[in-house]
Amino acid sequence: MSNRVVAGGIWRKLGLGVSVFALVSPAILVFLWMISLSLKNELDNTAYPPVFIPNPPTFSNYIDVFEKNNFLLYFWNSILVTGGAVLIGLLVGVPAGYGIARSKAYRTAIMILIARMTPALSYLIPLFLVFQILGLIGSISALLITHLVITIPIIVWVMIGYFEGIPQELEDAAYVDGATLWQSFRYIALPLARPGMMVGAILAFIFSWNNFVFSVVLGGKNSRTLPSAVYNSLTFEQISWGPLAAAALLVTLPVIVLTVVAQREIVAGLSAGGLKD
Amino acid sequence: MTAIDLPASTATADVEKPQKLAPRRYYLFALPALVLIAGVIIFPWVFTLVMSLMEFKVGGSVEFVGSANFAKLFADARFGESVLRTFWFTILAVVLPIVIGTWAAVVFHREFPWRGVLRTVFIMPMMATPVAVALVWTMMFHPQLGVLNYLLSVIGLPPFAWVYDPSTVIITLVLVEVWHWTPLVMLIVLGGMAALPSDPYDSATIDGATDWQMFRFITLPLILPYIMVAVVIRTIDALKVFDTIFVITQGGPGTASETLNIFLYLQAFQFYNLGYASAVVVVFFVIIIALSLLLLYVRQKLKWNA
Amino acid sequence: MSDFAVRPSRRHVLGGAAAGLAAPFILRSEVLGQSTFDWKRFSGAKLDVMLVKNPRSDLLQAHEKEFTALTGIQVSSEQIPEQQQRQKAMIEFTSGRPTFDVCMLALHVQKRLAAKGRWLEDLRPFLADASLTSPDFDYADFAEGAVGFGRQADGSIDTLPHFIDFWMVYYNKEMFEQKGVAYPKSMDEMFVAAQKLNDPAKGVAGFVSRGLKNANIPVWTSWLLGQGMETVSPTGQLLTDTPEAIWAGEMYKRMNREVAPPGTVGFNWNECQTTFMQGRAAMWLDGIGFATPLEDPTKSRIVGKVGYGVTPPGPKGHHSALFGDGLGISRTSAKKQASWLYLQYMCNKGNQLAMLKAGAGSPGRSSALANPAAREGSRFPKEYFECLAASGKIARAGLPQIIPVTEFRDVFGVGLTNTLSGADVATELKKATEAFKPVLEKSEQG
Repeated sequence: MSNRVVAGGIWRKLGLGVSVFALVSPAILVFLWMISLSLKNELDNTAYPPVFIPNPPTFSNYIDVFEKNNFLLYFWNSILVTGGAVLIGLLVGVPAGYGIARSKAYRTAIMILIARMTPALSYLIPLFLVFQILGLIGSISALLITHLVITIPIIVWVMIGYFEGIPQELEDAAYVDGATLWQSFRYIALPLARPGMMVGAILAFIFSWNNFVFSVVLGGKNSRTLPSAVYNSLTFEQISWGPLAAAALLVTLPVIVLTVVAQREIVAGLSAGGLKD
Repeated sequence: MTAIDLPASTATADVEKPQKLAPRRYYLFALPALVLIAGVIIFPWVFTLVMSLMEFKVGGSVEFVGSANFAKLFADARFGESVLRTFWFTILAVVLPIVIGTWAAVVFHREFPWRGVLRTVFIMPMMATPVAVALVWTMMFHPQLGVLNYLLSVIGLPPFAWVYDPSTVIITLVLVEVWHWTPLVMLIVLGGMAALPSDPYDSATIDGATDWQMFRFITLPLILPYIMVAVVIRTIDALKVFDTIFVITQGGPGTASETLNIFLYLQAFQFYNLGYASAVVVVFFVIIIALSLLLLYVRQKLKWNA
Repeated sequence: MSDFAVRPSRRHVLGGAAAGLAAPFILRSEVLGQSTFDWKRFSGAKLDVMLVKNPRSDLLQAHEKEFTALTGIQVSSEQIPEQQQRQKAMIEFTSGRPTFDVCMLALHVQKRLAAKGRWLEDLRPFLADASLTSPDFDYADFAEGAVGFGRQADGSIDTLPHFIDFWMVYYNKEMFEQKGVAYPKSMDEMFVAAQKLNDPAKGVAGFVSRGLKNANIPVWTSWLLGQGMETVSPTGQLLTDTPEAIWAGEMYKRMNREVAPPGTVGFNWNECQTTFMQGRAAMWLDGIGFATPLEDPTKSRIVGKVGYGVTPPGPKGHHSALFGDGLGISRTSAKKQASWLYLQYMCNKGNQLAMLKAGAGSPGRSSALANPAAREGSRFPKEYFECLAASGKIARAGLPQIIPVTEFRDVFGVGLTNTLSGADVATELKKATEAFKPVLEKSEQG
């Protein structure tokens, strides 16, 4: 190795360090500030210059969130709605992805893409009127059904890409051995596409969990999901940064934990072709 | 669900030449999903189209008015502005994350201590609930008490108006969007880089190529298809942004951040002009179809070249 | 919390926020009520109540336990932020199947909508029925202005006007003293005072008020009332591009541009409140119902320094912009009579007094306002109550009594906001008036 390369190595390391710092710090700082806000009283939260380290930290904001806002109910609603929509999405979306990929139904694929592109808001008017007629406004099932608008297109779209990446030859060989279509799907394609299901499920979960506007319009007293419930905890007569930050943190915690736990799957899934094609 | 456990020999009827029958029969797999899609997606599309020809205000009567809503829409300056604004926002909210995300992918492709942990931290914003984070951003943007202006003052910069000035609101909202979605771009591009061959780099290193040259002439062409995928996804998401804008500015100051989605929400769920709002959806829909076809075309082209 | 000790029995234990209530008062009215009136008639019923997120609703919820103890009626209530609550009321009422029996209604926004859509039950038959209305309820006790607010054009009474909001000026006495400025006696003087108090170098603004579109309309109408004029004439003509309206727009522009903190263009009440509460603005024009946290040492840095001033007179008039909320019963509710008991109880004299004491705003009842017990033990100074009373005497509608109030606020709100970036007031108001005119005409036809 020549000196030039070694010197270059130092500069490269420095550049790398600066890059990593510049990229990671905005991500971490916002969350740290959120935590800081959630642990301070109102006076410290609106102080200027700002108080960075809560001293002493107070948990009253969190107590507030749980006592005043029925947080556990909304949490459970979110689980039901998102969990249900992702499960149904997987149940119908994975075979659909397979069917569309294998039959090369590009027009259907494009329709799915358009469905994925259409803003969620635009489904709201018709679905709202239908639920009105059916008397489902304010029910968990109305929200769950609406969330299918989010989960099915994502899962189908991701799965099409996955199944396209699995060589047809494997299945052809199975047919020669007398397997049915269903069997070749179930025993050959499906196991190979498991990482794709993971990616599809995770992305669907995140988008569904984070959805806000459906619950704002369709959610009722007992069916509201977390994001709109948090938005509701903005009190009218005063700005309350502490409880708001605490609630915000609690809402986003499940998806953050999911990210950390499933990070490997997400990265592996994406690099294995989850979103390409 | 019992079919899953059927041994291969019991299902005999389907054996002969399934490949040839395939295209039609594979559709059976898609059937349940298509039924659901017809219910929750296709039906609303058709319904919206019908509604867009009606004068329908909640609490008022329903009346067929033909294309009157569209005529009104195209004459509505506020609508036109919101379309242009949406495009401007989308361009910024695609280009910036793509550039930064590609840079991040190059960085995280290298080996360095704590890479896994730092990458996880970097990805976190992507998963964070937009409404929750938007509320916190709102607090940070506060012109007098916000932490961001304090940080600016620490490094000797004058306070910035953030979302409190019509001329800076869009770029500030794009900033939030960049924070949120750059990680996704990074992940997609990183996925592409994982599949890169090492030979070209080895020979380039021997030839004394700089890092930039290697990136520009070897890496970039190879990951371009992945970047295109990221562009498609980013465009979709940027066009649709609603939560952050709604929570942080509600389209303000004035109409300075009123995108198509906000305009739509205002018409539908603040003014209850459901017919007019449906016409907005239809136009939005046309824009999206046109754009998605364009993107698919470009992507297909790239695939040919790759 | 000291009166816990003097409570005679568990029956009279009140919910948290109501703890400051005058215990003897409640005791009297309750005993009186029980002796002559059967509160238990609808025992076992369960009511759904939709409230707006605010301190009044906190109090209503705090009273639910005693209400259930008294009547045997269960209450399931929910507070939803203003904007969404109005949207939900609209959506659910027009669906014909609202999911609630009782609804809080912003009279200054949705009163005419409610009348047009026949959302709410006329309360007159209930009021006239002695078997349903407790003898100590005393509807006549509601102030004249409040009653007018709650009454529709056809004479029906579809809400109990439990809360009235007056716009007034919060001011920082310490800052006024330091600069030797007296509380302004006119709107023009207000600008001069704000200029003297404005000190950007110290991060202190002379004045703060809402700049955010939609929310900013009452600021403009407050100035316009100084010209003795509202935005829509009694015959339904828009007065929004008259010289008076332009004067008010200019007032709005210079107050929010020259002597206000940076960024007011995005300020709603909460940013204004935070700014004022942190001692970073000398004056704040807004509703008196926003006073709650100002005297709370855990939230405010200016406890004891707040002055409560009546909105100064303008060139041709002296008014305080008026807003109000009512409680009504859904026309399709199957439990109207039980709901009526809820309304009665929540708006009784004791609970209205409690609202006043908590600084949660001005109650609809005269007896509460006149009761000296309100001032005793309240953390709000005498001046607060005086301002309330004085504002009440000069109150005048702060928003037009039209159907499309939301569009009105949006269209004119945007125009006003544009002036803060330098646009010409007359041009903007003219443009907004033209844009809004067809909307108004259409709404009056339907």
